[in-house]
Amino acid sequence: MNRIIVPGEVIAEKEIRMPYTYTEGGKTYSTVLGIYEAEHSSIIPLEGLWSPNRDDDVVGIVEEDKGSVYIVDLNSPYTGVIISKFSQTELAPGDVIYAKVKEFDEKKEVILMHPRKLYGGKIINVKPSKVPRIIGNKNTMLNELIQGSKSNIIVGMNGMLWVKGGDVALATEAILKIQEEAHTQGLTDRIKKMFEKTGV
Amino acid sequence: MEGNKPQLIIDGKRTDGRGFDELRPIKIEANILKNANGSAYIEWGNNKILAAVYGPKEALPKHTADPTMAIIKSRYTMAPFSSLEEHGRSGPNRRATEISKVTSEVFENIIMREMFPGTEIDIFIEVLQSDGGTRAAGITVASVALAAAGIPMYDLPYAVSAGKIGDQMVLDLNKIEDNYSDADIPMAISPRNGDILLLQMDGSITKEDFSTAYSMVKKAGATISKIQKDALKAPYEKIIEKYR
Amino acid sequence: MGYIDIVKNEYIKEILHKGIRDDGRKFMQYRSIQASVGTIPNAEGSAEVDIGNTKVLAGIKIDVDTPMPDKPEEGNLIVSAELLPLASPDYDIGPPSPAAIELARVVDRGIRAANILDTQSLFIEKDKVWSVFIDIYVLNYDGNLFDASTLSAVAALLHTRQPKYEEEKVIREGTLPKLKTNGMVTSCTFGKINGNILLDPDGSEESIMDTRLTIANDENNNIKAMQKGLHGTFSIKEVESMIDTTFEKSKDLRSVLSSLEN
Repeated sequence: MNRIIVPGEVIAEKEIRMPYTYTEGGKTYSTVLGIYEAEHSSIIPLEGLWSPNRDDDVVGIVEEDKGSVYIVDLNSPYTGVIISKFSQTELAPGDVIYAKVKEFDEKKEVILMHPRKLYGGKIINVKPSKVPRIIGNKNTMLNELIQGSKSNIIVGMNGMLWVKGGDVALATEAILKIQEEAHTQGLTDRIKKMFEKTGV
Repeated sequence: MEGNKPQLIIDGKRTDGRGFDELRPIKIEANILKNANGSAYIEWGNNKILAAVYGPKEALPKHTADPTMAIIKSRYTMAPFSSLEEHGRSGPNRRATEISKVTSEVFENIIMREMFPGTEIDIFIEVLQSDGGTRAAGITVASVALAAAGIPMYDLPYAVSAGKIGDQMVLDLNKIEDNYSDADIPMAISPRNGDILLLQMDGSITKEDFSTAYSMVKKAGATISKIQKDALKAPYEKIIEKYR
Repeated sequence: MGYIDIVKNEYIKEILHKGIRDDGRKFMQYRSIQASVGTIPNAEGSAEVDIGNTKVLAGIKIDVDTPMPDKPEEGNLIVSAELLPLASPDYDIGPPSPAAIELARVVDRGIRAANILDTQSLFIEKDKVWSVFIDIYVLNYDGNLFDASTLSAVAALLHTRQPKYEEEKVIREGTLPKLKTNGMVTSCTFGKINGNILLDPDGSEESIMDTRLTIANDENNNIKAMQKGLHGTFSIKEVESMIDTTFEKSKDLRSVLSSLEN
C-alpha cells in the first residue's frame, strides 16, 4: 500500500537503510515529503531538489569561462564544472548545453563531461523530483511527448528541459500537466488522449 | 495596568469561550505562492500568516557562507495593517529581529544542513493579521513551507505557547490574554521525541507550572501535527482523487 | 539576471515576432483576474487581487492625525507599497526600492486625481483629521503590479469602515459607517517588446520590455493618471491606441470592482 509521508514520520519500527530516511533509537524516519511504497521499500520524494549522480544527463547554461574550466548554471544549489581541455566544443557564456555527470565531488561541485551545444529553443524548468515521470518507464512518456508535439525535447535530471520545433506550446502544456499529476495512475494514457485531441 | 486588568477567566471559561487546554481553530494550506520553492498559509484563530521558502541557493554575501553546511536566514515581519490598533510601522523592529533569530535556530536543528554546503535557505514569515501567538503560528507554518519545498528535515516541528492567568495554566494565549497574562511561554517541539527547539518565557511561574505548560503543549502538539501533515498531503490527495 | 533568464527571454522575443505570447494570450488580453475584499478583518479595509500569478494584498488603516499645514480642513491619504522578499527570488530585504516607491506613487495619483476619497469628510475638529493609510503588499510577483495594486487599493477603499472619534478615543469596532468614496478608478498597463505592444505584461515579458505605459481612467473615461516607464519610446499613434484599449478594457476591471461584496 502506497502512502504519502512527511519529514519525521516513522517508516519502520526497526533500523533499515533506505534513501530519504535516517535511523534513530531503533526506528527509521522519513526526511522528505514523499510517497512510501511499502512493497518496494522505497520513497519517492514529491518535491525537492536534484541530488546529482554519476551518468545523470543534465541541461545547463554556461555561466563563465574561467580559462581552465567552464562554470555551468544547473538551476540547482550545486554548480556544474566542465574542464576545458576535456571539452571537444568551444563554449561561451550563454550557451545552452547538454552533458553527463562525471562526478559529484566532496566540494559539492558537479563535474560534467561530453558537453553538447543546443541552439535556439525554449528552456522549461520543472521540479527535479518530477523528471523520472516526464521520462517514464523505458522512455514511454518522453516518446509520447516527442511524438505528440513533434518537438525536439531534451530532459535534464536537474529539472531543466530544452524544447525546440513542433508545437512548443503544446509540449509545454503536456510537460506541466505531467509535473502536476506525476503521482497519479494512468497518466501516460491521459497525455496520449490530450495529444489525440489537440495533436499536431 | 493592574487597575484596568480585564477578567480573563469567567466560570471556568476564557474570553473566547475556550477551555484551559483548548487550542484556537487552526487551518493550513500548502503551496499557495507560485514563485517560492515552498509556501504555506495559516489561519490560527484570528492570526493570518504566510510563510515562503527560497533555496537552498548560493549564500550571499559570500562571506556569510559556511563551506560545510547551509545557513538558515529567517525573516519575521508584521504588516502595518495587521493589528486592530493604529497603523504600524513596516519593516522589522527589535522584537521582529529577535523572533527571526530564534526561528532560524529552530530550523537549524531540524534541516539536514550538511547536504547543502555553501548555500542559504531563506524563510520569510509575513504576519498579515495578528491576534497573539504569531511567533508560534509562524514556526508552525514555516515548517509546512519547508517540507513543501522538499527540503530534507529530521522532523516537522510545531510551536504553541502556554501561559498563566492568575493561578491557572492555559494553552495558546490570544492577544488580550497575552497582554494581561501572568506568564507567556512559547515553545517549539520536535514531535518525534518531544525535544524542545524553542523556549521563551516572561512573567512568573513555578517549576510545577512549567511542567504543566510542557504537558499542555505536547498534548496540543498531536492536533497541530495532524493539521500540518494533512495540509502537506491535501494537494496531492486531491489530484489522486480526481483520477481514481 | 542570469543566463537562464537570457535564454528564456530570447525565446519569448522570437515567438512574439510571430504574433504569439508564451502563455498563448492575445496581445490585448488580460490574464484571469480574481478579487476579494475583507481578507484582513483587523484592518479597516482590505482586498486581495490576483492577476494571473501576480498576487497583491491592500490593507487600510485609518488613524487620527494632524492635517497638512496647507490643507487644514482635509484628511490625509498615504499610500505605500512593499515588494516583499517572499514574493520573488529577485526581491531583496531592505528599505523600499525605487520600483516600490514608483508603484505607490502611481497608485496614489490615480486615487487622488479621481477624487475617490472625499478628503473633506475626513475632517474631525481643529487640528484633527483622519489619515487613511493604504499599504500595498505584493505577495507573489508575476508582472503588472500597477494594475493589480490600483485594483486592490480601490477595492479595499470601497469596502472600508470609518472609525469614530469619541471622547478623545478612536473606536474601531462595532457598527461603523462606510468610508465615504466617490466613483472608481482603474488602470491598464502595457509593455512594449521589440515594437510589439502587449496588455498586462507578465513577469517574463516585463523582464525584457523596453517601454511601459500605465493609463488610469474613471468611469466617464476621463484619463486620471499616466506613467511611462523604462528606456524606450512610444509614438503618439501608439499612445492613442492604448488609450482606446484602456477605455474598452477598464469596463471589465470596473465590473470586477462592482461585483465585490464584503
